[in-house]
Amino acid sequence: MIRNLFEWLYQPIGRVAVLITALTLFSLAAYGIYTVQQPPEQPIQFPHNLHVKLGVQCLYCHPGALRGPSPGLPTLTKCWGCHQQIAKTDTSPKLAVLKDFVLNNKEIAWVPVAQVPDFVHFTHRPHIAAGLNCERCHGDMTQVEIARNPQVINMGWCLKCHRSRAANDPEKLTKLTDCGTCHY
Amino acid sequence: MSEKISRRDFLKLASVGAATTAVLTGCGPASRYVQREPYTKMPEYTYNGLSTYYATTCRECAAGCGLIVRTMQGRAIKVEGNPNHPVNLGKTCARGQVTLQGLYNPNRVRGPLKHKRGEALYNEKYEDVASNMKWEDAFQVVADALKSPAEVAFLMGTTSDHLFDFISDLATVTGVPAPIRFGAASMFETRATLSKAAEDLFGQATMPFFDIGNADLVLSFGANFLETWISPVAYNRAYAKMRRGNPKVRGYFVQFESRLSQTAAKADEWIPVPPGSEGQVALAIGRLVAEAKGVTIPGVFESVDVKGVASAIGANVETLENIAQHILAAANPIAVPGGAALGMSNGLSNAEAVLALNALFDNYGKPGGIFISPLSPNEDAYHRPASVQEMSDFIGQMKGGAIKTLFIHGVNPVFELPKSLGFEAALANVGTVISFATFPDETAVQADYVFPDHHGLESWGYQRATGSTLSVLSGAQPVVVPFYDTRSTVDVLIAAMGLTGGQASPFKDEVEFIQSKLANLISQADGSFTAPEINSFSAFFQQHGGWWKTTTDLASPSATDALGTSLEVSASEFAGQGEFFFVPFVSPTLGASGANIPWLQELGDPNTTVMWNTWVEINPHTAEELGIEDDDVVRIVSETGAVEASVYKYPGIRPDTIAMPFGQGHTAYGIYAQGRGVNPADVLGAHFNEAGDLAFAGIKVKVEKTGKKRELARMEGKLGVYGFIEEK
Amino acid sequence: MATELGMPAFTNQSQEEEPVGRWGMVIDQDLCTGCQACVAACSMENNVPIVGEDDASYGRYMHWIRIERLWENTEYPEVKMTQFQPMLCQQCHNAPCEPVCPVYASVHSMSEDLNLQVYNRCVGTRYCGNNCPYQVRSFNWLDYQDERIHPELVSLHNHANPDVTVRRRGVMEKCTFCIQRIHKAEDKAKSEGREVEDGEFTTACAQACPANAITFGRLDDPESGINKLAAANRSRAGHALEELRTLPRITYLAGGV
Repeated sequence: MIRNLFEWLYQPIGRVAVLITALTLFSLAAYGIYTVQQPPEQPIQFPHNLHVKLGVQCLYCHPGALRGPSPGLPTLTKCWGCHQQIAKTDTSPKLAVLKDFVLNNKEIAWVPVAQVPDFVHFTHRPHIAAGLNCERCHGDMTQVEIARNPQVINMGWCLKCHRSRAANDPEKLTKLTDCGTCHY
Repeated sequence: MSEKISRRDFLKLASVGAATTAVLTGCGPASRYVQREPYTKMPEYTYNGLSTYYATTCRECAAGCGLIVRTMQGRAIKVEGNPNHPVNLGKTCARGQVTLQGLYNPNRVRGPLKHKRGEALYNEKYEDVASNMKWEDAFQVVADALKSPAEVAFLMGTTSDHLFDFISDLATVTGVPAPIRFGAASMFETRATLSKAAEDLFGQATMPFFDIGNADLVLSFGANFLETWISPVAYNRAYAKMRRGNPKVRGYFVQFESRLSQTAAKADEWIPVPPGSEGQVALAIGRLVAEAKGVTIPGVFESVDVKGVASAIGANVETLENIAQHILAAANPIAVPGGAALGMSNGLSNAEAVLALNALFDNYGKPGGIFISPLSPNEDAYHRPASVQEMSDFIGQMKGGAIKTLFIHGVNPVFELPKSLGFEAALANVGTVISFATFPDETAVQADYVFPDHHGLESWGYQRATGSTLSVLSGAQPVVVPFYDTRSTVDVLIAAMGLTGGQASPFKDEVEFIQSKLANLISQADGSFTAPEINSFSAFFQQHGGWWKTTTDLASPSATDALGTSLEVSASEFAGQGEFFFVPFVSPTLGASGANIPWLQELGDPNTTVMWNTWVEINPHTAEELGIEDDDVVRIVSETGAVEASVYKYPGIRPDTIAMPFGQGHTAYGIYAQGRGVNPADVLGAHFNEAGDLAFAGIKVKVEKTGKKRELARMEGKLGVYGFIEEK
Repeated sequence: MATELGMPAFTNQSQEEEPVGRWGMVIDQDLCTGCQACVAACSMENNVPIVGEDDASYGRYMHWIRIERLWENTEYPEVKMTQFQPMLCQQCHNAPCEPVCPVYASVHSMSEDLNLQVYNRCVGTRYCGNNCPYQVRSFNWLDYQDERIHPELVSLHNHANPDVTVRRRGVMEKCTFCIQRIHKAEDKAKSEGREVEDGEFTTACAQACPANAITFGRLDDPESGINKLAAANRSRAGHALEELRTLPRITYLAGGV
């Protein structure tokens, strides 16, 4: 049976079929990978660039990064603290979306961007404590509106930085390249 | 494939296949389907991404252990003990650990229901019925019932002390009768018998406290203090202290019980006495001790015939004499009555005989001895739960039509009471049944309305704690926002009182009521904290998880003439014509009401390792005589009913006795409980001991083969204890 | 016994006689009452799935820790049960499960000195579970946690611990000595510029045990609670299946003596 299959494949029609299949699969894969790397749609087109240029610190809205695993997302009260005092809130159509959420006490269903799979336990605190700026991994927020990943976040990328920062400290290197440090 | 495939071809195919798979799995933006919704209004003390911990009280049993519950983003995710709480000192029992599976149980009553009696509260797919009423209308229903207060009755469980206080106050203010409290756990703990024995011997109708932790010799007559008895965490801790608390002396422990319970398995000696003979055994030992000491035999031990007792229990006199020697060598011996020994027609005499032993040991009020449990800080007197006799009287009231509206909270009498008492049948003569059940249990199924209370972890309240040497009032607060549309029963009653047209409640809500009950603690000395006024006191009360006195309030039983008065422990009477004694026992893992918690079902019994089912423990020789094997289904027949269960050939039980765990056999109560096992209460009759407790071990049953087989899920392996073929 | 069947007797070539390591436990069987608070606590802390009656009867229960008991004597009335023994991953110094994983999912953590289970690498050969003499590794034979198959889990998953990965089918799991708690405590200590104190945190099972039968701590610190406990109870101390020389990091103190 295998011999029959290979005989058919060696004929022209077989090779064309293989080529078409391969091209289809390849384009599907390319499309899939491309889609995943696009920043997802968010319920509010939050302009990071605007806020950062106004001087708002990352840790103001995402304070958990200093203390623990998750930096957190700002609550409605955090947004409203400023926006209820800004005249533009009543006039701007973009801010009308925020106003609707706040006045109806609806939760904003943000789509997380810098995601790692659930079998990875990433914690922000030691990274901030090591002196890393948020932009190093999350990119320059003055250049984007809604957040996007400036590079693919995968284990190889994490390990590259882990290895280079612990190059001179064997104990630290052991810890930073240990499976159990992130996977448990 | 008939032709061989060459290595090269195989590799080609395999690599194409692998590459395709690898590529395709990378496609697909599955991550887009994740959403994260932050708080709209975050509590001010919460750090984003970090857990918030709340102190509260466990409501799985009446012990009142303090908990610290870890919550994250508004969800309760782990229960731990409160390290400062005197009852449990940071520890929890299995039921406390899995109480979250009650809070988030798939089958809960989701909102107020107008209900038709007998209709299920979820469909065949175990989807709960939706709420069909508004709370405002529910308040009106309750208000209408309260308009004729004398025709109302409140039946409550043994937790939720603040609700008990509220209804008790309601009783004094309106004409509502005082609430009745009952629970299967207290039925098997024979609290009425313990209380009555205390009254007869010490002059106080209260709960005795057994200071096992400081004893160096423990004689337990049926008391299963390592299981779910009275205050499991405290008594487990006390056991550990008895064993290893003193580096020089390891405590010695003897258990007198007809079956090898989990408690008996930890004993140095297990004396398998027939059910009901424990009192005689205690007297015999007392007499032997007095004889060995060479003192005049106290009046209470005068009439016992030691040799007769020994032969009645099938043991040598030496066995009892050895125990007497242990007693003489011990510095702090204690004798503890409980369990099936008291759940017997002569249970009260058994209890008094055992307590008289303690008089002989002269340990009243001494470390390692018997004390009077201290009253809780705001408790006026010990309100013990109703005995089954009192429940039977209450059922008589129901049958007589005196009760127009029956409110039921925190107890499931249709399941917990023996069917022969006729609770379910008597409901027909009750006008309206209103259940405040959190879970869709059998009693809620028989209700006309279900107005669900919050789960314990969603509730405010306080709990009077047993099992501590200190006087403890344990505090409860919600650790999460109520998951469903439930209301606190106190709030429902307060709202209803405002609608009766009569006297409204002086409190605007439950929290105000609770604060009123804490008010006079502010001025008390020796407390775990102080505060200048009620609002700060309340805040500390929640933060600390309660308020307790820091100096021990254990009272010493008054020295009555326990030794002098002669004690006749008559032989126990057994109802029924069968040849086997029947000993039901509360499942050490499920407790009385844990069948709807999946992890409790899968824990497995410590002795038999059986999960998810009921079994009958039968001695292997008896099984051989009857011609039954492991997993055979047998019918247990009593004079009042019959149940069928699988056989477990168990080494640790008398050949004339069979035993069955209580906790399964639900016909409602959710996906994890319904249709599993059987309820041994179905074969129990209305027989009581002198104190009114149910003589639950006082029946004899027949064992009939059914020819069916139903495999038990055993962690030890399907072969069971006797399944291995021994090589000859 | 092994040589009778023609197999070489198992000997391991390591030179150590005592387990060395960083984290260890002492379990006092004289105190354990078989109450299973530890099992319940572990299951709630580590998102251990329940499998239901059918799979449980087939031996597929997922307990990371279980209470074992055997019978010394089953002839009534001289019946004697062995002492209740909490059995969990012994975190062996010479772990039989570590060398056999073809995909390096069951590896040794060099920084925490623990036997790890890396769920995302596991392909489910079950060789590690086969090799474990204590039978403490459990395998996800089915998707026990999948809400599409078990819709009743939707509400129950609210109490899932976010610090522990939820495992899918085909993945092996076992006790990790609550590595998530170890990491959290070490991170907190590091953020405060100090070392973790003995007793600052503990595993879920040790925290719940009402009889204080389980104690957890540093094995490499002679002043730690567990080393002091083991030293004070030398006559009762031993290891499970000691003759196999797996050098477990859990010391059992015999009960009944």
